[in-house]
Amino acid sequence: MIRYAARRLLTAVLLLLVISFLAFLLQQLAPVDPAEAVLHAQGVPQVTSELIAQKKAELGLDRPLLRQYASWLASSVQLDFGLSYVTGKPVWSLLGPAFMHTLQLTAVSAAAIILLSVALGVYCALREDAWPDRATRGAAFLLTAMPPYWLAAWLVWLFSVKLDLLPTSGMDSAASFVLPTAVLAVGYAGVYFRVIRSSMIAGRNEDYVLYGRANGLTERAITRRVLANSLQVAVPMFGMAVPILLGSTVVVENVFAWPGLGTLSVKAILGRDYPVIQAFVLLLASSFVVFNAVSEVLSGLLNPRLRKDL
Amino acid sequence: MKHSRNALSAIFILFLIFSSGCSDSGNEPAAEAAKQGQAREIIYASSKDINDMNPHLYSGSMPAQGMIYESLVEKTEDGIKPLLAESWDISEDGMSYTFHLRHGVTFHDGSPFNAEAVKVNIDAVQANAERHAWIKLSTKIKEVRATDEYTVQLLLDEPYYPTLLELSMTRPYVFLSPKDFINGQTKDGVAGYDGTGPYRLADQKPEQYAVFEANESYWGGAPQVKRITAKVLPSGETTLLALQKGEVNFIFTDDRGADGVDVEAMQSLVDSGRYQLLRSKPMNTKMIAANSSSTGPVHERAVRLALWHAVDRETIAGQILHGAESPADSLFSGNVEYADIPLAKRGYDLKHAAELLEDAGWKLENGGETRVKNGRQLALKLYYDAASSSQKTEAELIQSAAKTIGMKLELIGEQSSSVAARRASGDYDLLFNQTWGLAYDPQSTVSAFTAESSYAHTTGGIEGVEELYAKIGQVTGTRDEEKRKALYKEILTTVHDEAVFIPITHGSMAVLAPNDLEGVAFKQTQFELPFELMHFK
Amino acid sequence: MKRISRLLSDRLALLSLAVLAAIAAAGMLAPWLAPHPPDEVNMALRYGPWSLHYPLGNDQLGRCVLSRILYGIRPSVLLVLAAVLASVLIGAAVGMAAGYAGGRTDALLMRLCDVMLSFPGYVMTLAVIGVLGVGLQNILLAFILMKWAWFARIVRSSVRQIADADYVRFARTLGTGSLAILFRHILPVCVPELAVVASSSFGSTLLQVSGLSFLGLGIQAPQAEWGMMLSEARQSMFSRPELMLAPGLMIVLTVSAVNFLSDAMQQAVDPQAGSSKRHQPERAEAALIGREVA
Repeated sequence: MIRYAARRLLTAVLLLLVISFLAFLLQQLAPVDPAEAVLHAQGVPQVTSELIAQKKAELGLDRPLLRQYASWLASSVQLDFGLSYVTGKPVWSLLGPAFMHTLQLTAVSAAAIILLSVALGVYCALREDAWPDRATRGAAFLLTAMPPYWLAAWLVWLFSVKLDLLPTSGMDSAASFVLPTAVLAVGYAGVYFRVIRSSMIAGRNEDYVLYGRANGLTERAITRRVLANSLQVAVPMFGMAVPILLGSTVVVENVFAWPGLGTLSVKAILGRDYPVIQAFVLLLASSFVVFNAVSEVLSGLLNPRLRKDL
Repeated sequence: MKHSRNALSAIFILFLIFSSGCSDSGNEPAAEAAKQGQAREIIYASSKDINDMNPHLYSGSMPAQGMIYESLVEKTEDGIKPLLAESWDISEDGMSYTFHLRHGVTFHDGSPFNAEAVKVNIDAVQANAERHAWIKLSTKIKEVRATDEYTVQLLLDEPYYPTLLELSMTRPYVFLSPKDFINGQTKDGVAGYDGTGPYRLADQKPEQYAVFEANESYWGGAPQVKRITAKVLPSGETTLLALQKGEVNFIFTDDRGADGVDVEAMQSLVDSGRYQLLRSKPMNTKMIAANSSSTGPVHERAVRLALWHAVDRETIAGQILHGAESPADSLFSGNVEYADIPLAKRGYDLKHAAELLEDAGWKLENGGETRVKNGRQLALKLYYDAASSSQKTEAELIQSAAKTIGMKLELIGEQSSSVAARRASGDYDLLFNQTWGLAYDPQSTVSAFTAESSYAHTTGGIEGVEELYAKIGQVTGTRDEEKRKALYKEILTTVHDEAVFIPITHGSMAVLAPNDLEGVAFKQTQFELPFELMHFK
Repeated sequence: MKRISRLLSDRLALLSLAVLAAIAAAGMLAPWLAPHPPDEVNMALRYGPWSLHYPLGNDQLGRCVLSRILYGIRPSVLLVLAAVLASVLIGAAVGMAAGYAGGRTDALLMRLCDVMLSFPGYVMTLAVIGVLGVGLQNILLAFILMKWAWFARIVRSSVRQIADADYVRFARTLGTGSLAILFRHILPVCVPELAVVASSSFGSTLLQVSGLSFLGLGIQAPQAEWGMMLSEARQSMFSRPELMLAPGLMIVLTVSAVNFLSDAMQQAVDPQAGSSKRHQPERAEAALIGREVA
């Protein structure tokens, strides 16, 4: 087991190195000369070629690529991503708080998604093909086909403006979580609950269920067992959902003015703030890799059969 | 799924689940509203974070800096008036200014405002002179002397007529507590934001909000609105919803000239009876700056002229802006000092525009939509501020008119900071911009024609540019009013003839405020609002 | 063939297919179907109501909304479809190469896939438009860059399974060429699964692309695209909510049809999936799990 975990984590580290190199290359590919951009960001009115050369040396941009990468990586690991071209502040001072806000939204949404998909999945499985099952599936189908921003606009109109129940945007109180979470949860739970539902339905026909029934287990107890079995399938699925969710809050964050990574990254793109874009990519891709590795190791711990051969 | 008629009821069930599952947190907005009811405060929406409040640098929000910091003198409708300086004398030769400072003024941190504080502040600005090249006074200051506790002497290298005007500006010649300096400087950051102004910065959550609290010991009397919050909200719908809901209750035209909500939406809020909409007199000119230094087609005067004729100002002002602004035919409106000069009026005339292009050799070839000259397409990039509700619509209107004369405009929406960076680096063909407005027009805007960080790329490619720059260099040192007038006339005529600034409308500043907020007024600049004068009924 | 006939016997699937075909045809025939040029500005008709000449009214520049919806099919649906097909093709090629060659090539290509798949979708897209600038083509490029790896994996695993199957070994001993084996034996096996995953990711990509356009990162004016139309309509959501309807409903309709079809294909490929007796959830819903919804 330890060997498995070690190998899994080693691949993760290698993957991180590759990702970091790609993220590093982003800046090289950008159509703006970093030295010039920094000079402009600092508001130097006369950008001469000498100034640029001087700045290049200062920023270490005149060194060979791999050495630049090494020093960039070393400082990135210490969360030093340089200065934003737009605000002139350290990138991490913008990215750090935004990351926390996105994590919060993701955590709350993931909880909502899990609750909602398990509840709906069980509910529908128990009423297979009866009207509540069909209705829920139909509704889920429609809701997952809606653009999240469109759904968000109507929800805000209904719950914030007409019913005056919830804030329209921002992250001021617990109530601020409701609408963004709802929009995110509807999209994902609408897909995931079907997985739970069909695995429950399949599970109810397994031999052990027949055996249990024959031995006089109550329906309740059987449902509980079947659910427990289905959740084994669901756990890695939810494990994957979290990092995916982390990267896909972009649209929802922007609609609700959530001060997270999604809002920050779109601002950075429209402001051509390359250090921020670069750090954003590195941060999210790394969390994605780390999260995947950890959740794989964990589910390997729980269920040795799931260990992937490497 | 075949029972899709059940879909609606199922949606309803889902909503019920959400709203019941989250009812515990649903009460907070009500509590917030109650809190608001007790002590009314101003909560304004801003599409950007207030950013760095260091008054000697340029990334911070100007309206916010205007609340915290003050200058020696103030520009009013009746000319320059005292602010932190109670009076001043100007020497005969115009090279020495002596200011007598107001007594008993303190910075927010309690340290005294005195001659020494003035000296170290101005010295700190001068230590970063390169950064302040746009404000010509920074190149003329020779020395600042604190002659006694409350007297400061400012010595110039040569006479400079807009000295007092430039000292009145929102930045950089405003005053920060010397205790906040780092190593006696401000250019590499400051330790605090203690000014002398009516409000002090109480809290700042980057990309979320900033809170300003009334300075109870303000020398001009404590302001009545005790708390002002600047909330970061994307412009447009999000801001409009927040206004409707009362989460913010105040918006104004930001320092880049963008209105957070379009005119029609603002009007609908006024019609709802809870808001008032106030508009300043025209303060600036909204325009398209054309990069004459570019190697592309926009380098040609004929192309710029054709575009000028392709802008339907009447429709923009009347329909897109609902009459809130008036069409502009020149860079400065006639009521701007020195700008009341006869200039050729170039109206909306697509036929003439097409002729201009035709004559300049831009031809439509075998049924193509875009004109071509020497194998090169007449295609230009026009950058606009993605946060402005009106610029995109205006841009699309101009784009469609340009298309009919065979000029292809590619529209690119970016953050205002990026547009400004393009203006500085010259990486553009055309971009939306505005003159710096009252108090800055014409002298600062004209000086900025030569500044690399401003319009050097815009003006740099026209014929006889050296002569133009020489005149701009002369004009501020000219003490003879008539000669000054003549010089401005020549300068403004040149840029008008060359059509490097394509005017659109004369813009004003708009404020949308709660109905019961009184004392809402404007300053003689588009970059600040006099919050200290406002109070709730 | 059995699968196709099974698919065609599902009336709902047939309906979805018909809807999609109609949308695609309308997009291709937009110049003939649209009553007006999509970028014809007419300020006199600003926010015009629904009328005979302008069946869906006019937008903030007086342009015909119906014409914009029709022309909008091209970037919103057809280009996205093209991008999905491109990534399937690239993925299939790489997957076959890897699966068939095995050994080092396989390991190398699969590690490459791992790298591509380790970027969450939106992050990859934002990275590409961050560097190359905003624009639909860059979004689609990012999409292809990322999704091929997904398809490559699927194809590769089917190839690995089949390559060792007895009938393929038999064919090989008979001296059938590699390419022939590829086309005759291996390709037909992967196609159904590819179709399921591709259609599922087509639906989610439609939503993502429109979302990015909505944020101003996608297509640039004056081109019509549904996401951008929604973002423009949102500016006046209160005074003119009706402008939010047409593009929004078109997206819902298209994505629903795609998802329906995807589910139906899923059932056709793996008839045990869905609601009936025996079931392997891992495989049946694999396509769903990979969807990035929001």
